[in-house]
Amino acid sequence: MDGVFAQLIVLGASGMLLTGLIVLWRRGVPAYITAYRWQSWLLSGLTAAVGYLGHEPQLYWIAALLFLLKGIALPLLMSATERRFGTHRELRPYVNTEVSLLIGGVLVLFAYVLTRPWMAVTELPTRGGLPIAMALLFISLFIIVSRKKAITQVIGFLMLENAVALLAVVGTYGVPLLVELGVFLDALMGFLVMQIFIYDIHETFETIDVEQLARLKH
Amino acid sequence: MPLVLLLLPPLVASLLAIAVRRDTRLVGWSSVVLNGISLIASTWLCTGVLWQEATIIARNDFWRVDALSALLTLCITGVTLLASMFGPGLDSTDHYDAAQIRRFRIFVNAFALTMLIAVTTNNVGLMWVMIEATTITSALVIPLHRTKASVEASWKYLLICSVGIALAFAGTVLAYFDFVSTAGQLPNALNWTVLRDAAPSLHRELMQLAFAFILVGYGTKAGLAPMHTWLPDAHSEAPAPMSAMMSGVLLGVAMYAVARWKVVVDAALASSSFTSNLLLAAGVLSVLIGASSLVIQRHYKRMLAYSSVEHIGLVSVGLGLGPLGTFAALLHLVNHAVAKAMAFLLAGRILHRYETTEIAGVSGLLRVMPWTGSLFAVGVLALIGLPPFGLFVSEFLLVRAAIATGHVWVAAVALLLVLVAFVSLLNHLNRMLYGPVPQGVAVGERAGWRVIVLAGCAAVSLVLGIVLPWPLTMLIDRTVSIVTP
Repeated sequence: MDGVFAQLIVLGASGMLLTGLIVLWRRGVPAYITAYRWQSWLLSGLTAAVGYLGHEPQLYWIAALLFLLKGIALPLLMSATERRFGTHRELRPYVNTEVSLLIGGVLVLFAYVLTRPWMAVTELPTRGGLPIAMALLFISLFIIVSRKKAITQVIGFLMLENAVALLAVVGTYGVPLLVELGVFLDALMGFLVMQIFIYDIHETFETIDVEQLARLKH
Repeated sequence: MPLVLLLLPPLVASLLAIAVRRDTRLVGWSSVVLNGISLIASTWLCTGVLWQEATIIARNDFWRVDALSALLTLCITGVTLLASMFGPGLDSTDHYDAAQIRRFRIFVNAFALTMLIAVTTNNVGLMWVMIEATTITSALVIPLHRTKASVEASWKYLLICSVGIALAFAGTVLAYFDFVSTAGQLPNALNWTVLRDAAPSLHRELMQLAFAFILVGYGTKAGLAPMHTWLPDAHSEAPAPMSAMMSGVLLGVAMYAVARWKVVVDAALASSSFTSNLLLAAGVLSVLIGASSLVIQRHYKRMLAYSSVEHIGLVSVGLGLGPLGTFAALLHLVNHAVAKAMAFLLAGRILHRYETTEIAGVSGLLRVMPWTGSLFAVGVLALIGLPPFGLFVSEFLLVRAAIATGHVWVAAVALLLVLVAFVSLLNHLNRMLYGPVPQGVAVGERAGWRVIVLAGCAAVSLVLGIVLPWPLTMLIDRTVSIVTP
């Protein structure tokens, strides 16, 4: 049973990592939103699986919340924003696709190296997901620093949140419920505020290309 | 009871601002009164911690106020009261419309509430949630006047701090993971007291990794270099009362989180100086970047912001220098809160009169605004670390602690950089105070109640520098015994 469980976790986590990598090689924002939706569904499924196999019934609630909020509500809101500003494409990111993918690979390797001491101290059946969660965390960070559109940066931020949630689920079977709810609330509020700012940026700069945001220097 | 009185007023003030749309004056004054109640409650907490019991615990360990928390609540409520007095909507002279005033009152009070919960909860997970919430509540106040610069500054602030704080959560999860895999699932496993007591049995390597994440994460919010890039923009573009709160206390709250985690990680690492070395390195780098950026500043609000980077660097250095240094660091935090809040509020008054943030555009300040000008001079002189102001005492103690613990090179570098900051701040100040009055700027100023309040801040800074009142030293002594057991 544990064998199947462990494989399931690694499979799901790898799926999440792949959806993160999609942002590195696709150029259109709709593709990013789809990738994020799939990633959230996988996260929700994984959370439920850990809840079932790890006998943590409170994780079902979290999985349901994840599905509703990150799997349905946020992608819909983002699509609405995207439609409002027309089809924006990441035409010239700061780092081009080939180099991006290469750096992505290096980051995954780095995550495996970093988590070695950590893998040594645990016997959890879910531990195979730890380095993958770390890798997703680094890749999300990379998305944020290497892409220009405000909306892509927001997606990077949301993927970072997903990576941390994955870390909590596979590492500790979830943090206590109260904290989890607080994190949800923060993610939602943070997203809504970023959404407000995308409108603000659009109105004051008439673009959502953050390259235009270069007025403040020294 | 004092805890309820501490947390309820900002909540009520925020809700009141949501409910009452028209009467901005009512909302403004009631928020001043409510924040005053909060300040009294925090003084009550401080006296309670000093005279009766060492910690105040409520609701089954959920809330926990020890000397460190009490000290922070005092700073937060004090600066919030100042900010609410100088916020828009109290009289008709400021150029904000009703919607902007409403937005300011709602989010400033919510901001104060999140900071207060962050320092009074025992749960490090909830502490994280609240510190993340401070980013959201404060980011909405920065672009009160929607200009390109302010929108850009708040976007930068929101994104960099959200990312940083997510890393701090990864660090928290790491520590929790280690705790769960050694001690098993416990209901209160994220409580700071539980983690601290269990720390000696945790794994060294994992806790080192966790602390690295936590320092980068909360260090981003604290404005430690090299994660400080958002700070000069956000602090200079925000409305003056907001800058005062962000610079005076928000940085301190983030350092509070680092200090809490330092206790846990130090206990896990036994006698290692791992955390101290990281704090020293980050601190020295921040002082270096803060001081050298001061030299080339052309805007006086950015000048104050970079001075925050310098001072928070000194606090970080102090935390890395054992008990003596921790005493100096906490005293420095209090002194900085008073002096920087005052300086930013005065900068707001200068901006209102001159309508420029450039140092070159402000001259003859002493003739144009005699009260504001002389108080601004006092504020900047205090920030430079001149005697007889409080910051001189804490910087002196800091250097002494560095020499006493054998970190002579840290003392030398810090002194040198403080000297650089001294010269450049004095130079900028000189240009602003004297010289011809620019055309189109009205000359003369009435001394209103606001000037008296600001003079009160200057007096507090002076008192802290001359006598160092014993309740404060006792409180900080208690705090030191918490941070370096």
